[in-house]
Amino acid sequence: MRRLRKRSATKALLQKAVMLDPRGNATVRSLSAVDLQLTTRGITSQRVPRIAPVQAVRLPLDRVRPTVLRVPLLDARPRVVSHRFPRPTDPLLPPVTRPVEQQQPSDAVENCVMGDIADSHGASQSRRRTRIAPPGDVVKLSERLFFVLQPDLETTLQASQLEFPREPFPFQLDGMAFLMPRHGAILADEMGLGKSMQAISSLRLLVRSGQARRVLVVCPKGLVSNWARELADWAPELVVAVIEGDPLRRRWQWTLPDVPVKVANYEAVVRDREMIEELGLSFDLVVLDEAQRIKNRSSNTHQAVGGLQRGRSWALTGTPVENSAEDLVALFDFIAPGHVNDRMTPKALGAAAADYVLRRTKDKVLTEMPPRMNRDERIELTPEQRDTYRRAEEEGVLRLSALGKEATIQNVFELVLRLKQICNFDPPTGESAKLDCLTAELEEVQASGKKALVFSQWVETLGRLEGKLARFGALQYHGGMSTVARDEAIHRFKHDRQHSVLLLSYGAGAVGLNLQFSQYVFLFDRWWNPAIEDQAINRAHRIGAAGAVTVTRFLSADTIEERIDEVLRRKRDLSELILSQAEAPAARGLTAADLFSLFRLPAPGRAAA
Amino acid sequence: MEQQTQGATVFGFLTALDSPTHGVFGGYLVVDAIGRPIEFHCTAPVKVSRAQQILYGASLPGHLHGQQIGAALLAEGSVTPIVVLTDHNAMLSVRQHTPLPVALVGLRSEAAEPPPGVFAMGDVYVCPPAGSADDTDALRQHLDHLRVAVDLTEPFERIRAAIEEAQRH
Repeated sequence: MRRLRKRSATKALLQKAVMLDPRGNATVRSLSAVDLQLTTRGITSQRVPRIAPVQAVRLPLDRVRPTVLRVPLLDARPRVVSHRFPRPTDPLLPPVTRPVEQQQPSDAVENCVMGDIADSHGASQSRRRTRIAPPGDVVKLSERLFFVLQPDLETTLQASQLEFPREPFPFQLDGMAFLMPRHGAILADEMGLGKSMQAISSLRLLVRSGQARRVLVVCPKGLVSNWARELADWAPELVVAVIEGDPLRRRWQWTLPDVPVKVANYEAVVRDREMIEELGLSFDLVVLDEAQRIKNRSSNTHQAVGGLQRGRSWALTGTPVENSAEDLVALFDFIAPGHVNDRMTPKALGAAAADYVLRRTKDKVLTEMPPRMNRDERIELTPEQRDTYRRAEEEGVLRLSALGKEATIQNVFELVLRLKQICNFDPPTGESAKLDCLTAELEEVQASGKKALVFSQWVETLGRLEGKLARFGALQYHGGMSTVARDEAIHRFKHDRQHSVLLLSYGAGAVGLNLQFSQYVFLFDRWWNPAIEDQAINRAHRIGAAGAVTVTRFLSADTIEERIDEVLRRKRDLSELILSQAEAPAARGLTAADLFSLFRLPAPGRAAA
Repeated sequence: MEQQTQGATVFGFLTALDSPTHGVFGGYLVVDAIGRPIEFHCTAPVKVSRAQQILYGASLPGHLHGQQIGAALLAEGSVTPIVVLTDHNAMLSVRQHTPLPVALVGLRSEAAEPPPGVFAMGDVYVCPPAGSADDTDALRQHLDHLRVAVDLTEPFERIRAAIEEAQRH
C-alpha cells in the first residue's frame, strides 16, 4: 500500500512536469521552477503510458552575467564598381528594303529580318543566343565586360531590323561573334561556308555601331565584282567604292569621304602603296580575302598589305596552311605581328594561333548540306596518245639521266608538264580519251538540265575544249579575259539554259565564285596542290547548293597523273595537322625528291619545289 | 543620380547574384533602346551573418536587396532610365528609394493565371511592387517599346555573366 502511494505521488509529480500526448511522447514543462530528477522505470500502471527516459536538466538559478552580443546593422553602403561604355551610334541610314528580284537565283528567297525567324517574343526560353565572348588578348576588365554585356547577336540583328537575303546559319552567327570583337583574326572556314558573308555582316555591324568608319576589303582582281555584289546583298545600306582605273581616278577613289567600304584588288594596293602613304590613309578595318596571297613574306604583296595603317586586321582564307607552317606565320604577320614565329613546332603554333583562328568544315557544321560525291575516273589513253606519251617519257627520262647531277627541278618540271599535256590531248592528232569521256558525261548533264564546271590548269586546254564542246554552249572563264568578259560569262552561264558548261582555269576560277547552282564538277587535269582543287570543287559544293554535287577527277591510267595523285594524297593532311595542334607529319609537301621520284630518279639534293 | 545627359531613352536592369562563398553581389545594367550596354555597376559582395538574419528576420531580403544593394547601385548611374526591371523579388523594395517605376519580370507560365496587379507582355509577366499600381501605365507604355527589340529577361543573363567575369578577373 505504501508502495502504491509512492507510485501515485510519483505519477502526480510526473504529470505536473511532463505533459504526455496520446502516443506517450513527453514534453517537459515548467522546468524553470523545478529541480527535477525522476526515474519512471518500474511504473506499470496501465493508466500511465510508458514514456521515454527523461534527461535530467539543471537550470542554475543563481545570477550569471549575460554575454552581450553586438550585431552590426546592415546600413553600410557596399562598394560599387562602375563601368561606362562608349555610346553606340547608328550613323547610317535606316534599313533598306530591297526588291527580291535583285538577288542571285541561287539564293532567291525572301529577304528576312532576324527575329522574324527567331520567333520574336514567343520563344524566349528556346531561342538560340550567340554571345560575343571577349578575345583572349583583351585583358582590361572594363573592355572584357564591354563584350560580355553586349546583347546576343540574334537580339542585335533583330533590334537593328537589318535585312538579309537569307537567314544566316547558326555557325555563321558564331563566325560573326568571333570576328566582331577581334582586332586580329583569321576566318579559315572550308570553302563554301560563307566567309565573305560572315565578314560583310560583321563589318556591317561594326560600321552601324560606329566602331568602324573606314573599311578596306582587299581581294584578288577577279573577285572584285563578286565582292561588290556580295556587299550589295548582305549590306545594302553601305556605300561601297571600288578602287580601279587610272592613277588619277584611283587617287580620287582612295580619298572619297563618307564611303565606309572600299574594295581594292591586291595589285592596286601594291601599285598605290606610295600614294596610300602619301595620302596618310588609315583604316579602321582591313579585310584580306584569299589571304593566302600574302603567304610569301618577301613578296611586294605581303609588304604592301602589311604597310597599310589599320586598327583591325581580318584574313579570310580556306587554306591557311597550303604547303607549310610558314604560310600561317605569314598570315600572322598581318593579323598579329610577332605573335608566332617559324621556330615553333606545329603543336606550339597551333596553340598560339588558337584564339585567332576559326576554322569549320562542312561535315561538322552543315550536316544537312547536300552530299559531295567524289569519283576518280581512270581513263586509258587512246593508242595514239599512248604512243606519243611513251616516246615523250622515254626521251625525257633519258635526257634527265644524261644530265645526271646537273638535272634541275626545272628540267623535271618541264617534263611533267609535257606529259600532262599529252594526257589531255595528243599533240599530233588532237585525240583525247578524256574529252571522249567528258563529252559522254556532259550529254547526260545537259539532258537532265543541269550545269557543269570543268577545270584545267591550261588556258590552251580550255580553248580546245570550248571548240569541242560547243554543242553544250561551253563558256570560258580564265585570267586572260577582262573582268567585264568574265562577269559576262558568269552571267550567261547562270541565266541562259543553253549554256550547260563553264570551262575554268584553276587560277581564276578556283576562288571566290559562287556557282552553287552547278551540280557537276570535272577536274580535267590535276593541280599541284590539293587545297586549290578543293577550292575549285567548292565553287559548286557550297551553301545554297540545290542538290548533291558530283566531282569527277580524270586520271590517265599508268601515267604521270597517277603518280602525282599519290603525292597529292600524302600532302592533303598537313593543314589539318597544324590546325589541330598535332605533331608534324613526316612528309610535308611536294619536295624535290618527290618530283624526281616521279621518274624514279635520285634527287640531286636541291631545294623543294 | 545625375540627370540623363544625352536625351536617349535608356532602361535599367537590376539583379543580385547569391554566392555561397562570397555573399550577395548586386548588378545594375543600363541599356539603350535596342539592348546595347551604356553602363554597368556592380557591388562588392555583401555577406550577412546568422545574427543579422535573426535580427532582421523577414525584413532582411527587402532591406538587403532593396535598400543596401539596389539603392546604392541606382545612385551610381550617370544616366536615368525610364524604368528599372528586376528578376529578383526582394529587389522590388528598391522602389521605396527611387522615384522610377520598378517592376519584377519573369517568364510567364502558360498555365498560371497572373495574379492581380501583374500583367503580361508576350511571354513575360510584369509585376510592379505592392502599392505602386500607379506605375502600371508607365511600365506598359515603356516596355512595349523595349520588348520589340529586347527579350525583357535576357539582360539579367548578361549581368550575371559580367559579375562572374569580374570575379574571375
